[in-house]
Amino acid sequence: MENPPKIDPVDESAELKGSFFDNIPKSLFEFLNEAGEISRFAGKFFKQVFLPPYELKEVLKQAFEIGYRSLSLVAITSFIIGLVLTLQSRPTLVEFGAEAWLPSMVGISIIRELGPVVIALICAGKIGSSIGAELGSMKVTEQIDAMEVSGTNPFKYIVVTRILSTTLTIPILIIIGDAVALYGSYLAVNIRGSVSFTLFFKQVFDSLEFSDVVPAFVKTFFFGFAIGLIGCYKGYNSKKGTEGVGRSANSAVVIGSLLVFIIDLIAVQITEFFGFL
Amino acid sequence: MMLKTEDIDQVKAKKYGEPVIEIKGVYKSFGSNHVLKDFNLTINRGENVVVLGKSGCGKSVLIKCIIGLLTYDAGSIKVLGNEVSQLPIEELDILRARIGFVFQSSALYDSMTVRENLEFPLRRHGKHKSKSEIQDLVEETLKDVGLLNAINFMPSELSGGMRKRIGLARSLILHPEIMLYDEPTTGLDPITSSEIINLMLNVQKKYNTTSITISHDMHCARVTGNRLAVIVNGVNYADGTYNELSTLNDPQTHPFFE
Repeated sequence: MENPPKIDPVDESAELKGSFFDNIPKSLFEFLNEAGEISRFAGKFFKQVFLPPYELKEVLKQAFEIGYRSLSLVAITSFIIGLVLTLQSRPTLVEFGAEAWLPSMVGISIIRELGPVVIALICAGKIGSSIGAELGSMKVTEQIDAMEVSGTNPFKYIVVTRILSTTLTIPILIIIGDAVALYGSYLAVNIRGSVSFTLFFKQVFDSLEFSDVVPAFVKTFFFGFAIGLIGCYKGYNSKKGTEGVGRSANSAVVIGSLLVFIIDLIAVQITEFFGFL
Repeated sequence: MMLKTEDIDQVKAKKYGEPVIEIKGVYKSFGSNHVLKDFNLTINRGENVVVLGKSGCGKSVLIKCIIGLLTYDAGSIKVLGNEVSQLPIEELDILRARIGFVFQSSALYDSMTVRENLEFPLRRHGKHKSKSEIQDLVEETLKDVGLLNAINFMPSELSGGMRKRIGLARSLILHPEIMLYDEPTTGLDPITSSEIINLMLNVQKKYNTTSITISHDMHCARVTGNRLAVIVNGVNYADGTYNELSTLNDPQTHPFFE
């Protein structure tokens, strides 16, 4: 009897044959597919956000849950950032005889970049994971189905309200975080020297321009939107089971954090294009 | 409240009205997994049908298709004269207000108290109701399931049996004409299971509901069902009373009655 032809179970050369789509590596295909699904999810958000009912009560409730409950974490980390940044920068500035520039340098660093990005990353961790896990467990325990049966559009009630809340509250958290970080910096300056509160903040605000504050503030809305969107997308599409809930929370943090950096990169390019840098 | 045998007989022996759920030639697949294949079942007003079948045979899929949580691939499901797949979302919501759905996991909203859980469908479907009317309805329904004292509890503070009862109360609050129970006694001890079965019978008696119950619990099937339907390979394989099916010498249905 003739032996059957030997087939290599992982025939990599076979992947190069066939149609164009067959030649796309699986991981790239999955990435593109995921990006497409997230875009569709975002499109659904924009379609539903302008349609009644507006669920304002739920937006405010979520804003409280997301904003107020993250305030202490944001305040502590911002205070440490301001303090450490000042303590680390001081020796180098002293070496160049530019110690007087310390408040200005720290102010620009915090307002333009460090404050928004670091606080957004903290929010991606805390808020993104909590939304991902909450929606994931709602999906697994059929609460989303129960909501639909009760005559409620679950996408509108759960997803739209949470994305709106993160978009509106994360910029506020970042403003508060920036202020606390500057206060931490003021205390750090006074560990080795003596600068009055008024003089410190005068130097900070004198060095800041419109082009420093506005682009930094505008990008925080995009950070908030991205964190809410990814948290909701991952939770809402969670696979069955408790493992799925964990995965949703985890990937909400990973993708949310990555998007914060990507948005930051795009924001820098745009501000540079318009001559703000 | 425990029902007496004559009450159970009274519930089961009533005459049935016009068809309220008509399922004709329904197909439903998930990828290559063909769950329902030409499934047919008609349920008349006042009837209480228990659907039996092996795990994964499509029982839960069937009732989710009936309430419009899942769309079916082909066929027709008419509920109270409405073709479910063709209803716009506003009309589907109106139809859903006439159907109570008790989920397998109870599906109570974790972030809401028992009171808020019961108020939720009322505020969505019954927007014209005043605050005091809503409060009265919530208290009355909780009394029906014997859990008025748990009104301010969070779902995490409730036992499995209590969660099922609250889930049942939430689906009853709009006084539905049709009840869909998805494995109402699964995971409960025999005593709690009997309490749930008695509650279901009370509901049938008090609200005169038509119901479909998905269950593996043969005691539940025997006591609550006027009629049983057995799903095998995606079709309504056998349909009849408990006594008719239990005496069938069929290898597909016999194991359920052993």
